Amino acid sequence: MSLSPLGASRSLAAVFTPIKSGGLVDEVCRRIELAVETGLLVSGQRLPNEIELASALGVSAVTTREALSQLRGQGLIRTVRGRSGGSFIAEDALPSPARARERLQDLTRLQITDLGLHYQAIAGTCAAVAAKRAGDDDVQAMREYIRPAGADPAPAEPGGGGTATPLEWRLSASEFLLELAAAARSARLARELLRIQVDMGTLTLLPFNDPSFCEQTAELNAAIADAVSRHDAAAAEARTKELINLTTTWLLAELSAGQPHETKATP
Amino acid sequence: MNGNGAGVTTPAHGDTTGHSAEMREIEAIVAGIEGQVAEWAAATSAWLDGCGKPTGTAVDKFIRPSVQTLLQGPGAKVAGAGFIATLGLLGPDRSYIAWWQGDDMERVDALANFSPQSLSRYTRAEWFRIPVETGRPHVTGPYIDLLCTDEYVLTFTHPVFRGGQIAGIVGVDVTAQTLERLGLPPLRRIGPRAALVNVSAAGSADSAVANDGGRAVICATADIDAGDRVVPASGAESWPAGRQFRIYSSVEAALG
Repeated sequence: MSLSPLGASRSLAAVFTPIKSGGLVDEVCRRIELAVETGLLVSGQRLPNEIELASALGVSAVTTREALSQLRGQGLIRTVRGRSGGSFIAEDALPSPARARERLQDLTRLQITDLGLHYQAIAGTCAAVAAKRAGDDDVQAMREYIRPAGADPAPAEPGGGGTATPLEWRLSASEFLLELAAAARSARLARELLRIQVDMGTLTLLPFNDPSFCEQTAELNAAIADAVSRHDAAAAEARTKELINLTTTWLLAELSAGQPHETKATP
Repeated sequence: MNGNGAGVTTPAHGDTTGHSAEMREIEAIVAGIEGQVAEWAAATSAWLDGCGKPTGTAVDKFIRPSVQTLLQGPGAKVAGAGFIATLGLLGPDRSYIAWWQGDDMERVDALANFSPQSLSRYTRAEWFRIPVETGRPHVTGPYIDLLCTDEYVLTFTHPVFRGGQIAGIVGVDVTAQTLERLGLPPLRRIGPRAALVNVSAAGSADSAVANDGGRAVICATADIDAGDRVVPASGAESWPAGRQFRIYSSVEAALG
């Protein structure tokens, strides 16, 4: 390996950035919070006992005990003593729109715009590559997540959305993009997409309270799946960027409004 | 790795191009992995038959040492490996996942064992569903494995049984990279457009499969990537490699 004539490059600096050791207790808490936030663990569900949890996560019982106590302090879990006791996910646990709004108000417009651009770059490239590589089975998998099960395309009641909750809409929207990444067959792009979705966290729950946002999402998802199935890379990429932009625009408008709204007029 | 002689029953090769050494080399890679998984499945079925009512702890205790050998043994090709129970084996409506990955034996998604919603993601996956439905081994991929390794992999799965009834699957993840490293040199000696192709039609709605094609696993030419849909070029020769792969002396990209 030869040394760069320019000396230390800016990317070299990243190598020597201090490594944060978040601590095992925080990591255990983060995992459980994430599982609740994504709907994998639901309210009222019993958690494994300390020993089971410790062995499952590969940490000590002391670490687990501390993590559970921290989660109890946050109100995410409650512990019942006695024979039928144990730790349970609290009834009013996440994902809550209130908490998501709080998080949104902590962000700046710049942060949202920047995250949106990153998201567009990754998801848009996934779409373009998927259009070249996807087979019929990939397109079929994507089509399953155009809208959540239970939300019919032409609902009888006006306003649309069928019976799906915002949480189900968000889960389905995220699965749709992951199927798109899977069809692109790039491990790096897929990992990056996952990471961005984790960064967005509960924020993406907010717009799905808006039925018109849900419908627009479903329409764009359908258009993306169609473009991928006819191997139209340009259209697939353009529609996907529009899809991401829809979220960014919605969040920016919500931030500007500063107050919760039922419906939004986008600027 | 391949000491059980798996793959010796494949038919004699139509060796008109003088590449039988290369074909055998590639076949041995695939059959070696398949043989390893089959042997492990047989041992797991025998254990399940004699273990009484299985518990999560007992499953972990039996499966983990095998996984450790697969992941850390000499010449290991495997990125992850484990066992997934069918619903009901460990308890009513309950599945169970005992899967580890990487050199440091990281446990995969242990929280899933406490969350029914999460487990359905595994039981719907091709690499679980098809061996359970057909009772036969299956190779899935190459595909992006977002549930475990977050890598581009092929998953070799084999059904396991308890008292003759399907009880789950054991399987291994092998990255597409690993196969490229092992298989590309012999493939290039066969021909500039030779390819190892997954021609499984099971669970696939892929039109390329109807024309003897499938998903490229490794291809000698750089204009075809692992996972691209390919069909044999006209006049191409073909040899079996393992249960559902074929080596073609020349391929082209599938249209449509």
